[in-house]
Amino acid sequence: MSGAANPVMNLDPAQEDPAKLAEFESRIAAGVLIEPGDWMPQAYRVGMLRMAEHHANSEIVGALPEGEWITRAPSLRRKLALTAKVQDEIGHGQMLYRVSQDLGKSREDMLRDLCTGKTKYHNCFNYPAPTWADIAMIQWLIDGAAIMNQKTLADGAYGPYVRTMHRINMEEAFHFKSGEDMVLSLMSGTRKQKAMAQEAFDRWWGPSIMFFGPHDKPGCEQMAPMRWRMKVETNDSLRRRFVNRFAPAATDLGLVIHVCEKDEQGLVTDKRVDELCVPDENGNWGVTDPNWDEFFRVIRGNGPCNAHRLALRRFSYEQGGWVRRAIAGGETILPPAA
Amino acid sequence: MTAMQDMMKDPHVNLVLSLADDLLMLGHVQGDWTGLGPILEEDIASSSMSQDDLSHALMLYEHLGSRFGLDPDVVAYERGIGDYRCCDLVTVPDEFDWAVAFVRRWMLAHWATPLLDHLIRTGEDDLQERCRRLRAEQALHLMYLDDWMRRLGTGAVEARDRMQAAIERISPLAGMLVETPDGVATSEFDALRSDWIAGMEEVAAAAGLSLDIELPSPDTLGGRRGVHAEHFIQQHTEMNEVRCADPGASW
Repeated sequence: MSGAANPVMNLDPAQEDPAKLAEFESRIAAGVLIEPGDWMPQAYRVGMLRMAEHHANSEIVGALPEGEWITRAPSLRRKLALTAKVQDEIGHGQMLYRVSQDLGKSREDMLRDLCTGKTKYHNCFNYPAPTWADIAMIQWLIDGAAIMNQKTLADGAYGPYVRTMHRINMEEAFHFKSGEDMVLSLMSGTRKQKAMAQEAFDRWWGPSIMFFGPHDKPGCEQMAPMRWRMKVETNDSLRRRFVNRFAPAATDLGLVIHVCEKDEQGLVTDKRVDELCVPDENGNWGVTDPNWDEFFRVIRGNGPCNAHRLALRRFSYEQGGWVRRAIAGGETILPPAA
Repeated sequence: MTAMQDMMKDPHVNLVLSLADDLLMLGHVQGDWTGLGPILEEDIASSSMSQDDLSHALMLYEHLGSRFGLDPDVVAYERGIGDYRCCDLVTVPDEFDWAVAFVRRWMLAHWATPLLDHLIRTGEDDLQERCRRLRAEQALHLMYLDDWMRRLGTGAVEARDRMQAAIERISPLAGMLVETPDGVATSEFDALRSDWIAGMEEVAAAAGLSLDIELPSPDTLGGRRGVHAEHFIQQHTEMNEVRCADPGASW
């Protein structure tokens, strides 16, 4: 049974053994990595589990929008690269579920909780990818944002998660390069391709800005997640770095940064140039604050693709049940042949 | 005459294309499973095999492309339907049934290895070299698939029943895998056909599964001679959706 579901769990650090808690915090302050067998506050165990499980869920749900385009990839090399990329995401999910398993929850429990909507995955995968250019933008912007975030997570304190981040980041760098190459091909292509790229960019710029989560609460640096180095940089700081990196890159490529209105399907219905998206005298780029109502609406399950993504994940989970049962148990006919 | 017409008129091309097109379409249809496999580890393994199949198809298209001055992507994507040499078994819709997808791949893997051996024995130097590399990887697929066939056949009643049902569902199409392409002597194929069936029967027996492959009469026309089921035409259209959105563009 998963630790996260234990109703008697003590999640208040003040209730922990003060000496053990002090030693734990001093180890973190000294840069020592926490390993699964080490003592840790329950709140830390639960927090790391939630974080790693959410991350794992995001990897395997994130595979879905891109996976839908493998059969339509326009060249054999793009088809190969996209298949390998989606496979990597599943591999990342597999590694992160293993990290989570060590923290006390079985994979079966995690997959079931994902399918029933009890646990979440990253919001950005609830948006549609209606064209090939969306795949380019996901790999460029969303993978770019993920690398930015995960590079800081690789500087965290929980050993298995940190090591997994290092490995994942190496692969994400390839995804980003592949996305950049796809965007470059589109933006140096025909008028139709450039228009396709701009439309996809309009769909994905907003979710990219929201990628890092809502604005931070005051004093977040002193709160447990950052004090315990479960995360090491604030949402707003990461967002600022993202905008400073990608706004000029998009502009250089000839893309225009818009503030967009979208319909319930996540398709753009109206747009205007983001006048705030220019550099100040220090080289910091501004950006119009995204629609946080939309962000929370999508998190609550009412985004354009929540139902579709979850239904596909549930379908995959259910259709594969007989294979898992055959491996894990079931009525045996014969011992495996030699 | 265009380079493509030139290529399609060469009778020696048919055999190479039959394998290349099977691998292309197997990688294509199995691509639909990426991210949706029954176990994460098997999803990853299945995707690796799909990537191998697509890479192997590309290597064979590169061989033909260099001979006839054609872009491998053009050979892969832009032939008329009647110029493809894949068989209907490879492209049969699996309706997201892992057992059907698995048996489909297993039957092709048992065919690909003896056919590659044949091409290594009889092909020209460049083709031989490429086929040696393909053979090593396809043999790994075969080892993996045979192992899983035994595991699923003997592991649990439910799995055995599903595998048996999958075999029975797609076996009627299996014989067309060994349809002799134009330009190949029927006698050349006789031993390959026997090896293919014997190899599968041995594994099926160890897995407790029954296999009954009926070979079609030689005059039955199928994919090896350019006659395809409707589902292949739909898959070809899907494969070309982006390319057709802006013909001639570089992606």
